[in-house]
Amino acid sequence: MRRLFVARLAQSLIVVLIVTTISFFVIRSAPGDPFSYDAPNVTPAIREHWRAQFGYDRPLPEQFARYVTSAAHGQLGYSFQLHEDVSTALAQAIPRTLLLTGVSLGLSFILGLVIGVAQAVRRGRWFDRLSSGVLMLLYSLPDFWGALMVLLVFAYWWPILPAGNIVDQVLHDYMSPWQAFIDRVRHLVLPVASLTLLTMAGISRYQRAAMLEVLPSDFIRTARAKGLPERQIIWRHAFRTALTPMVTMLGLLLPALLGGALFVEKVFSWPGMGWLAANAIAARDYDLVTAIVIVGSIMVVIGNVLADLLHVAIDPRIRE
Amino acid sequence: MDLAAMMSAWSPYHPPTAPVSMRSSIVVIAVVTILSGCSSKEGPQSAGATGGTMIYAAPADAIDLFPPYVSDLIGRIVQDLVYERLAEIGPALQTIGDKGFAPLLAKSWTWAPDSLSIAFALDPQARFHDGKPVTASDVRYSFKVFSDPKVGSPTAPLLTNIDSVSVRDSLTPVVWFKKRTPEQFYDVAYQLIIMPEHAFGSIPPEQLHTSEITRKPIGTGRFRFVKWDAGTRLELIADTANYRGRAKLDRLIITPVAPAAAATQVLSGQADFMDIFPLDQAPKLDSSAAARPLVRPQASYAFMGMNQFDPKAKKNAHPIFSDVRVRRALSMSVDRVGMLRNVFGGMGRLAHGPFPMVFSYGDSTLRIPAFDTAAARSLLDSAGWKVGTGGIRVKNGRPLRFTLLVPSSSVPRLRYGVLLQDQFRKLGVQVDLDQLDPGAMQARVQGYDFDALVGGYTPDPSPSGTKQNWSTAGIGPTGQNYLRYSNHAVDALLDSATSSFDPVKLKSYSSAAFQRIIDDAPAIWLYDFVVVSAVNRRITTAPMRVDEWWANLADWSIPADKRIDRDRIGLTPVKR
Repeated sequence: MRRLFVARLAQSLIVVLIVTTISFFVIRSAPGDPFSYDAPNVTPAIREHWRAQFGYDRPLPEQFARYVTSAAHGQLGYSFQLHEDVSTALAQAIPRTLLLTGVSLGLSFILGLVIGVAQAVRRGRWFDRLSSGVLMLLYSLPDFWGALMVLLVFAYWWPILPAGNIVDQVLHDYMSPWQAFIDRVRHLVLPVASLTLLTMAGISRYQRAAMLEVLPSDFIRTARAKGLPERQIIWRHAFRTALTPMVTMLGLLLPALLGGALFVEKVFSWPGMGWLAANAIAARDYDLVTAIVIVGSIMVVIGNVLADLLHVAIDPRIRE
Repeated sequence: MDLAAMMSAWSPYHPPTAPVSMRSSIVVIAVVTILSGCSSKEGPQSAGATGGTMIYAAPADAIDLFPPYVSDLIGRIVQDLVYERLAEIGPALQTIGDKGFAPLLAKSWTWAPDSLSIAFALDPQARFHDGKPVTASDVRYSFKVFSDPKVGSPTAPLLTNIDSVSVRDSLTPVVWFKKRTPEQFYDVAYQLIIMPEHAFGSIPPEQLHTSEITRKPIGTGRFRFVKWDAGTRLELIADTANYRGRAKLDRLIITPVAPAAAATQVLSGQADFMDIFPLDQAPKLDSSAAARPLVRPQASYAFMGMNQFDPKAKKNAHPIFSDVRVRRALSMSVDRVGMLRNVFGGMGRLAHGPFPMVFSYGDSTLRIPAFDTAAARSLLDSAGWKVGTGGIRVKNGRPLRFTLLVPSSSVPRLRYGVLLQDQFRKLGVQVDLDQLDPGAMQARVQGYDFDALVGGYTPDPSPSGTKQNWSTAGIGPTGQNYLRYSNHAVDALLDSATSSFDPVKLKSYSSAAFQRIIDDAPAIWLYDFVVVSAVNRRITTAPMRVDEWWANLADWSIPADKRIDRDRIGLTPVKR
């Protein structure tokens, strides 16, 4: 177990290093730079002066060597767009994205698993057919389109929830702790719903398939022959067995959720990693983009390692 | 807001008549509480003529807040609300002499007999937001920072006629000029922002760009800076002890919001102002209970520019656009009025040349090549571009084909790109559209790496801004003549215009220069910018200047009977 963990950690480190290098060069190869924004009074000479001021006129290998040295010392650079250290910007954004993706991941799994089980148990009946159709529709929706629809319905046509931002921009500071909590939840509902609806659909499809594989098994037939209640058979025996492949899904879902968060955060002006990334890429905020990619890849790697470890923990065959 | 009132107003939830389980009750109460929002605690109440909070759903966050570096929209708004100039340009945006300028930090000014210096009498009541008085030394410091090459301010090239600033006494800075020009007062009064030496003076110039303190502006304006949570929220409040009187609003919150969410926020009342509302959704504002439209002409114009030089071999003339007959033919082949109607409906304004009509030197009488496709075809034929196989014109084996850059960030320009492509196709010209994000487009434009583009310019109120874009002097790193258009007669006329002290002569020289540019057809003049802003119906706006909608924001107000929860927070007055 320990060897597996160390090996996965070493692999992860290599992955993060490769991703860092690629992102460093790719963002700098894109046309434009942090000072190429549209400003009527900034002449090319001024832009050149600023580039020199921040070392962006230096050869790319030199810039990379400097960046790696700084990053090794824990300094991820300076964000031109936010006018603060990249580490400060990330420290504010990461918890917001974790909140969004964490709640969404939790809800997606709970709803997806329950629906998947219910579909498998009622295979071929109207509930299975109807829910499969709806879920397939949700699954095939692009992230940003789903988010825009949710925004349109619940913030414009039927305006019961706020259209973006993380809290009320004015009143939040004046609210009691309970009111402030409710305010946060209200602002969380639409982005979480957007992410959850899309993710849940995939999970339920997988869970349905896994259950359909397990239900005809001999041990389920034995359990029925022993006269166990159907509910117990489904949830204690079939569900637990069908859950094993879903743990792998957990690791795979994290990058998908981070990708989805990019669009959802942009649509709902949710100032997390996705919002930061979208703006940083548009502004060619080099250090911020590179740091976001590093953090994103670390999060994905952690998700995968956790999934591996969980897999080992719940499946005795792998342990052996 | 009262929770019960809100619930009764819209909630689909009605108290059940039959008993319900405890679990159901908890769920229902939680859902209703979340959907209905929550009432705010009582803060210092705002009442009377002043008060209110305006939330501005901004298209982006500020890039810089330190005046020498400010070049973006939000940065300019914050700069202009927090800081002040010596004098304010009037609504006519007259740039010759000091006519039309109103006192701001300077109560009055005295010209030297030779007009080579101006002594400004600072208002003794003027105070920075930290309570320190404004002195002549602050004016000298501000000029020093703006013009220091180590700082690299984009404003520095506009201050080159100012030789120095001396301090006669603590309230009298004297600005010395290198030569007498019609716009020397404008140069110092409009371009120079006065900053506190005591706050920023100790920072080495090369560190100003990243210094933490320059993120926290300290000015003398009627709004004062509170905080900037980068990427999320920027807050200004009324300076209640301001020497010119406090702003009527208590608070301005600037929050960057994606366009789709911003429109929804304004229409639902969550935000109060959006400066560029999506044109295709503008009719919704007429029927909206929350927001109303404000149609605003802008000091900007859009055009399809043609690069005069080959983007691949940058010293060679462009194989297509170096021929004036081709440029004129292309100009004559497009239905500018039809395109305007197609893109803007009834709200568009046709461009009349290389200037926005809102400026005093704008001229709507200039002769623009008329829409005449038959004449355009003849002109191309006479230039040697004959229709080849496939309908595309060819000359010496080269097809009449070019790439048109369009910014993906601008819906009108994208639409214009498609319309131009279609109209040129009918003439036998093949256009490949290249949609680019603003950063990529800037890089291509600055590197002269393009055939043609759908671009826009926002010049200064002075004709000298036109020189930056259309004179030979504007070619190169210190200018913005990205088409590299050059005509020495135009240069001479623009020089005459900018050195004229008589507004009538200025306009006459400018018009002559513009007519020459139009005749040379380096660009097709598409439209003058008109935008629709959305403002909440409870807000009473003040007159808006065409170059800066926010110029009189301190006089925007919210009547007491229209205030909502966020307007009633109030402010604790500053004691000085």
